[in-house]
Amino acid sequence: MLNLKTITFNQKKTSPISLEFDELIPDEVYSWEKEDFEKYMVPIGNSRFPLTDYFDIEVEGSAESPEEIKMILNGDYGRVKYIGTKMSAGEIIVNGPVDLHCGSQMKGGSILVNGDAESYAGREMEGGSLTIMGNTREFCGCSYIGDWRGMNGGTITIHGNAGKQLGECLSGGSIYVKGDCDILAGIHMTKGFIQIDGDVTRWPGGQMKNGDIVINGELGRLLEGFVQEEIVENPEIDGKDFSGKYIKYTGDIALNGKGRLWLDAEKNRHLLY
Amino acid sequence: MEYVLKNGIVYDPANKVAGEKKDVMFKDGKIVDSVSADAKVLDVTDKIVMPAGIDPHAHVAGPKLVVGRIYRPEDSRKGVTHKTDVIRSESGFSIPSCPSTGYKYSRMGYGTVVEAAVPPLEAKHTHEEINAIPNLDIVPLSLFGNNWFVLQYAKNNQIEDLAAFVAAWLRLVKCYGVKIVNPCGSEAWGWGMNVHGLDDPAPYWDVTGREVVTALAKAKEMLGMPHSVHVHPNDLGHPGNYPTTVSTMEAIKDIEKNSTVRGQTMHLTHAQFHAYGGTSWRDADSGADYIADYVNKNDHITIDVGQVTLDETTTMTADAPMEFDLYKLSGLKWANKDVELETAAGIVPVIYSGKAPVNSLQWAIGLELFLKVNDPWKVCLTTDHPNAGPFIRYPRIISWLMSNERRQEMMDNREVHPWSHRRTSLASLEREYDFNEIATITRAAPAKIYGFQDRGALTPGYNADIAVFDINPNEIDPSRNPEAIEKGFGSAMYTIKDGEILVKDGEIVKVVQSHTLWTNVKGMEEKEKSVMERVMPDFTKYYTVKFENYKVFDNYLPNPIVTEVEASK
Repeated sequence: MLNLKTITFNQKKTSPISLEFDELIPDEVYSWEKEDFEKYMVPIGNSRFPLTDYFDIEVEGSAESPEEIKMILNGDYGRVKYIGTKMSAGEIIVNGPVDLHCGSQMKGGSILVNGDAESYAGREMEGGSLTIMGNTREFCGCSYIGDWRGMNGGTITIHGNAGKQLGECLSGGSIYVKGDCDILAGIHMTKGFIQIDGDVTRWPGGQMKNGDIVINGELGRLLEGFVQEEIVENPEIDGKDFSGKYIKYTGDIALNGKGRLWLDAEKNRHLLY
Repeated sequence: MEYVLKNGIVYDPANKVAGEKKDVMFKDGKIVDSVSADAKVLDVTDKIVMPAGIDPHAHVAGPKLVVGRIYRPEDSRKGVTHKTDVIRSESGFSIPSCPSTGYKYSRMGYGTVVEAAVPPLEAKHTHEEINAIPNLDIVPLSLFGNNWFVLQYAKNNQIEDLAAFVAAWLRLVKCYGVKIVNPCGSEAWGWGMNVHGLDDPAPYWDVTGREVVTALAKAKEMLGMPHSVHVHPNDLGHPGNYPTTVSTMEAIKDIEKNSTVRGQTMHLTHAQFHAYGGTSWRDADSGADYIADYVNKNDHITIDVGQVTLDETTTMTADAPMEFDLYKLSGLKWANKDVELETAAGIVPVIYSGKAPVNSLQWAIGLELFLKVNDPWKVCLTTDHPNAGPFIRYPRIISWLMSNERRQEMMDNREVHPWSHRRTSLASLEREYDFNEIATITRAAPAKIYGFQDRGALTPGYNADIAVFDINPNEIDPSRNPEAIEKGFGSAMYTIKDGEILVKDGEIVKVVQSHTLWTNVKGMEEKEKSVMERVMPDFTKYYTVKFENYKVFDNYLPNPIVTEVEASK
């Protein structure tokens, strides 16, 4: 990836009320110099405070466009919301945990979180990639509350575990969870792809209309709206090749859904009949 | 305080002023003939000056709005702004927050808005919400078309009792007039059904929409109210519904008008939704000709259009069975709101898209109605906010009405689907509204239809409700400059309400409390008393609230404007 300009944030102190970073995305700051950051007032609650109260900022190199930006955020961002929100290009690396809405509505570029992410990571994502090396919590890759149009593009990769309602209203894009996942993954999804390598507590795909959910671990409980179709060996799912045997379900029939749920046959023998 | 609006180009259709350069003067909140030399001069040289706008049909306050806002946070997040020193923060696009509703109307030069559907049981709540809308006078209409008592009176043809009931109930709930929504259909919804056409009886009632509409129209004329019955006919939004609409208008043709302040005996609302031909959405086409033809030939009818604006919006109406049909069509989320003995409402989000054949057809039918009704005094500009689109699109609709070129361009470059010209005659309509006609359909005509005697014109003695727009009518060619027209009407140079400057250069500079208009009918006290005595046992039996808690107390209307009417037998 081409990076001509590196912006580094080194944390000085944390705030009990969260900071909001949706204005500090490559699209906005690619031409900023150190002085611009020092002038900037960051939103905290209903006020704004100098960014330099909280961070030392270093700027190296120069950039003509957001693609040429690499932002490195060092420290604890557990009370910093909206990191990378609406970004369309460039790269953000967070060396620490992040708060709500990281990578929400992002259109392109990449975010790497070397830590845990709070809820709503990758909400309404349209493109780009979001990688979380730790765990994330509820509503990862979901829609805005009330909306029926969720994430529709891009890729979210979670190396740890995911919380409830992963990929809620998913209508495109892919979500990979390397760890375990809690209830209702892919609820209301209409399109797209979810792969969970670990175990799932229960109810994946509730009210799904279309799309694919692959579970390589053990599933606790299945919803009644899913019909066991067949066992498929080495299936091709959403254009990707999988090896091994999978139990294929269709659902959710409560909504006349045509969604496909694939369970690893070895780990889910208890569901076979 | 005295003011002179100097050298504006005035459009005041009620006083037959069509684009004359003259001064408009006002003093202590009223329009006056002359002012002293101390009057403050506001220079509006070559700008358009009109009475403040009057929206004859919108949904801005009441339980439907609240349910809509609660279940559509994704709409509320659009247009979120910070508070300023003058105004509160705003939110919402199709269902803005209460303060935002007031600000947005005010910025477009509007001063009065009709809230067209107040269920009597929810009237208290509606009035509370009206009080939260600043800068506008609100005119609530109460729903009567599916009320059990009304159905009973209509069935037995007890017109005098019905008139007394309406008079008593309007005083109870502090509303201005009578609204009828899908007569008998919303009652049928209580059984999961709808009625089809004007002569399909409500289940278990053996009374038809025709009987309800005619009975209420007769009752209203008996009372001599300033506004006629305000009707949303049966079969809204169904292909092939125009015959129902025409027969609804015909049903009351022979009822004699008993009012000097208005011309009509029925106002037919959001006519666009009631002007469809065909048998299904596959072969649907325009029925606008039939509606416009009837309106042109008959003087007892006025309409507003309910123009589709091609936006994502939220539909909400006291026509619950229609909303259920819409939910089945769109598959989006649906909320149902039943109001006991009175009505039932439904709410469904809708995305009107120029790519969609049906939406484009609806868009074209609305414009056809505007262009085919010859007399602008008989047609008003509405979007049935928020049902066909949010009211903030009025300036855009004005730009479409004033520019045939823009309409043709939209059809040519496929901003709208070809159904818009294949299934309607819109492409052949070259008529373009002039500024005087725009002033008529947004100001003078609504004022006349509602029988207002204090607004809608720049007559001395009237409220100083005035809008000034930064458009020079002698220089601009609206046909060629639709964007400039939209921008000009979207952001008033001045909005003046009761002599106070509320908007300057498109920004709110002052916030004032709204007034609520209601009608107090006198002269039927004895009859009302006996009607109430007969109503009470059923009220106690069937309502979930006590009568003592039902009434809207005076403190719910801190700023009432009462129209006193003397009932005539």
